[in-house]
Amino acid sequence: MSAAQIRFATLWRREVNRFMKIKKQTLGAPLLETFLYISVFGAALGTRIDKLHGIDYIVFVVPGLIMMAWSTNAFTNNSSSILQQKFQGAIQDQLSSPASPLELLLAFSLGGFMRGLIVAVITFVASVILIDLPVDHVLVLIPALFLVGFFFSQLGVLIGVRAEQFDDVAFAQTFVLTPLIFLGGVFYSATLLPQPWETITHFNPIYYMINLVRYGFVGYTEVSIPLSLAALTAATVALFLVNLRLFSRGYKLRS
Amino acid sequence: MSDPAPGNDPALHIVDLEKRYPTGVEALRGVSLDIEPGQLFGLLGPNGAGKSTLIHCTTGLAQPTGGSIQVFGHDATTGSYAEARQAVGLAPQEPNLDWFLTVAETLDYHAGYFGMPKRERRERTEELLETFSLTEKRDERTRTLSGGMKRRLILARAVMHKPRLLILDEPTAGVDVELRLELWHYVQRINEEGTTILLTTHYLEEAEQLCDRIAFITEGQIVAEGTNEEVAERFGVANLEDAYLALVGRKELSRSHIELGDEVAS
Repeated sequence: MSAAQIRFATLWRREVNRFMKIKKQTLGAPLLETFLYISVFGAALGTRIDKLHGIDYIVFVVPGLIMMAWSTNAFTNNSSSILQQKFQGAIQDQLSSPASPLELLLAFSLGGFMRGLIVAVITFVASVILIDLPVDHVLVLIPALFLVGFFFSQLGVLIGVRAEQFDDVAFAQTFVLTPLIFLGGVFYSATLLPQPWETITHFNPIYYMINLVRYGFVGYTEVSIPLSLAALTAATVALFLVNLRLFSRGYKLRS
Repeated sequence: MSDPAPGNDPALHIVDLEKRYPTGVEALRGVSLDIEPGQLFGLLGPNGAGKSTLIHCTTGLAQPTGGSIQVFGHDATTGSYAEARQAVGLAPQEPNLDWFLTVAETLDYHAGYFGMPKRERRERTEELLETFSLTEKRDERTRTLSGGMKRRLILARAVMHKPRLLILDEPTAGVDVELRLELWHYVQRINEEGTTILLTTHYLEEAEQLCDRIAFITEGQIVAEGTNEEVAERFGVANLEDAYLALVGRKELSRSHIELGDEVAS
């Protein structure tokens, strides 16, 4: 391995090591949360709800839950990890190393990405066993999930870099991210909403992500798949470039 | 002092370094400084003089607003900073250990950040755990360590990747006499083996005993530089402590002044 590869691998390993050392909190809790959602919305409520667009309610809901698990874990991991290291000053050890801004950014990003991936994969495997979840369009599903994971990893990095106190991270998650996800159609179809809420939902970027993932699993969508994939790719690249600029300038990382 | 490393470049070459914080505070105002390879150089000055800012600019933790820094001929401030960073080890003033890592992991990860291969990391970790009496603590999380143990680990981490320039920012602040002497013995040893050292300390007698050359910095400017004798002479006093007191405008605290006062009173 070259020196640059060793640097990157170590930076990335540190991020994975962090969440693996507190896995009850970082993996156990989100898995329990996801299974509670499946239990409540599937087993309890699902039996009393008719099919949505010809799909069993629980099967309609699970793709959104998988996307939600990946996105929230990617976001939470990266924002918390960066802010904690800023608080401890431990990030100085990495910032004073020869690692480039790109290496640092990618390593921080992929830590959360991995945590989201692990939670999503376990949820997916359990869902396939428990509810016979189909995978209709794997060539859409895999890029969609990877883009969603990477987008929220970048968002977590952005919030972690900008944050000056833990309240800043909690605010972004509780008052911005969670409402957008819940109102993006994880648990329902936007076509069932009265106006103006149906139209308003179309301004929520999470709505398009959920539709991409749902289409990948069950073949149902309310939006254009090529357009949504293109928009998500553009948004992810834009966010990545913003973060790279912040790391290069040392924004709120170097004094 | 050991023989200088090959090449003619200074270990640290700083020209007209300026740092103005967004708050408007001018921490460094045109600092120029040369440290030759193999030197043990003391940077002294009162709190807030700009010592830590200079160190942060050298190690990439602060972005200078003017001037240049070269480490063994490599630019330390622009985009191509990798070689300069590789050559520097930093033991910061504040313990900045990663709470999630164990003692051994702290050393291993640090070396990884500097691109050291796995086998070399493993051997170097064992060597430094032994050297700094940390072997028994190797699997403990860093947050459980005592203050003295943290200080040992910070120094071990700073030298883990075998830097050619070691920067020690008040490394013995708050440590007991035994540990202080242990640390200085180690620092002197690696200096004799060729590592250049930049040291900031408030213990003037240590600087006087250890350092080949001294610079006084105050209000973001170097006001005196040279050997202990040259700096004392610059202030027209007998030793480094009196020179420092003259620098901060507290000559009345000089031991010779107090002893003279005692004689007059008796």
